[in-house]
Amino acid sequence: MSAHSNEQEDKIILGDQEVLKSDLLTLNMGPQHPATHGVLRVEIKTDSEIVVDAIPHLGYLHRCFEKHAENLDYRGIIPFVDRMDYLGAMSMELGYALTIEKMLGTEVPKRAEYIRVLVAELQRIASHLVFFGTYGIDLGAFTVFLYCFEDREEILRLFEELSGARMLYNYIWIGGVWNDITDDQLNRIKKFCDRFEGELKKYHSLVGENKIFIGRTANVGVISEQMAYDYGATGPVLRGSGVKWDLRKNRTYGIYDKFDFDVPVGTGEKGVVGDCWDRYHVRVLEMFESLKIVRQALDGIEEGPVMGKVPKIIKVPAGEIYMRTECPRGELGYHLISDGGKTPYRLKVKSSCFTHVSMLPAIAPGLMIADLVASIGSIDIVLGEVDR
Amino acid sequence: MDTIHLKKNIEADLTISQWFRNVYEAVKTTMIGMGITFKYVWGRDVVTIEYPEVREELPANSRSRLYNDAENCIACLQCAVSCPVDCIYIAAIKRPTDAPKMKTKDGTPIRLDLKQYTIDTALCCYCGLCTTVCPTECLTHTTDYEFASYTLASMKYDYLAPDIRAWRTRIVKS
Repeated sequence: MSAHSNEQEDKIILGDQEVLKSDLLTLNMGPQHPATHGVLRVEIKTDSEIVVDAIPHLGYLHRCFEKHAENLDYRGIIPFVDRMDYLGAMSMELGYALTIEKMLGTEVPKRAEYIRVLVAELQRIASHLVFFGTYGIDLGAFTVFLYCFEDREEILRLFEELSGARMLYNYIWIGGVWNDITDDQLNRIKKFCDRFEGELKKYHSLVGENKIFIGRTANVGVISEQMAYDYGATGPVLRGSGVKWDLRKNRTYGIYDKFDFDVPVGTGEKGVVGDCWDRYHVRVLEMFESLKIVRQALDGIEEGPVMGKVPKIIKVPAGEIYMRTECPRGELGYHLISDGGKTPYRLKVKSSCFTHVSMLPAIAPGLMIADLVASIGSIDIVLGEVDR
Repeated sequence: MDTIHLKKNIEADLTISQWFRNVYEAVKTTMIGMGITFKYVWGRDVVTIEYPEVREELPANSRSRLYNDAENCIACLQCAVSCPVDCIYIAAIKRPTDAPKMKTKDGTPIRLDLKQYTIDTALCCYCGLCTTVCPTECLTHTTDYEFASYTLASMKYDYLAPDIRAWRTRIVKS
């Protein structure tokens, strides 16, 4: 066939030398592949072990969130917001609540603000622990997965006592938070912080400092600073490429301006700047920073009510707003257009995971298949947020 | 004719001394890791529970199976309105004026006769919005979490049916 003879004339140049070309093999990774963290299908074209092209196919978890939101009242949207990033639901709710509050001009009580910071940062730790554990599994280190999930379970148990649910909380409401936090729970968070800091150092020396782990991640899946800008990467992926950009610091929202914390960036300690190890390390350092914020919030928490004054039927004044917050996986933006009714006219969500998935075709060519798994793991996507 | 250009991974040339250093580092860091995991050999507190034999008790405000105490329901429809997935079906008719006066536990007069109160648990997303708006606090989340069933139809709970009313003694707190 003519197509066949054409293929034989193709050339593959790896680096600067031509490699022997065989027929390209198309391989479907997913949608049920454990390494893709959900229902992501990556169509890979490989030349023996080397990936020539990788195309992510989305939509397996599409739930019409944006269309649904147009038919729901503003309180009823919160359970749906939870289900986008189910590993970082508190952060999703926080962004949504801030969006509506800014439009309504609601004053949030000080105690509620502190509780929001507490739960959002604990959620960041819980979310990064899932990354830590599953990334270990991706690269063949199973032990750390169990350690991480044990600590995560402690956070989730606390959230369950606070809100009533383990993962989909519906806890941060417009105008405040649902339930008050008790002194006993605050003490437990304090104890958890003290214990967890040492544990995390241990986990890092178990996985992150391991030579085999470094060999699998350093110099692999490099996202340069320019490439991160080009694709609009945010969050740990952008910071892993050496850009010091954190919305909590640079575009402060809530009461984050009161807290003292650093923004860790990738430094290329084990390889080049922006490789998988840098992104991993940024997340580990972020957990330490989150612990710092949690401790300061525990010291600063005030007595008082936890719900502000919100009308019984929320009618957002006509207008438009774009509000963005820093979520565990990056920047989450809500673009709300209201026509003054009980339901939003349009609610568009800008998800960071979607942006990061779109970088895969740019990272993948030239990698081994096993390194592609390491790259997908290191950008830490949640398909609920990608497809919405 | 197509030419595919691929980046090559950056790899430094491997010298013999570097090779030995790599092996040394790999053994050393693996030993550190083994040291961390080693103390688990002598056991530690068990963090899992053996589920069917040992049942976990959920926190008191945990959001599990819904229960409506139909005697205290005034059919105000607030739960049905606030439900984001519309899984609560209520039908009520006006009480005749000559019927005996009825009151709920907290003293709210009942003006409507509840004819149907059904929740499709298969649709429910357990967000808890219906329980927070309930004025008489008759609709509550219980901590009962074992209610898998074989048919979809059996997930529709008719809270006026006697068999479901009988849960009251079993699963409702206080």
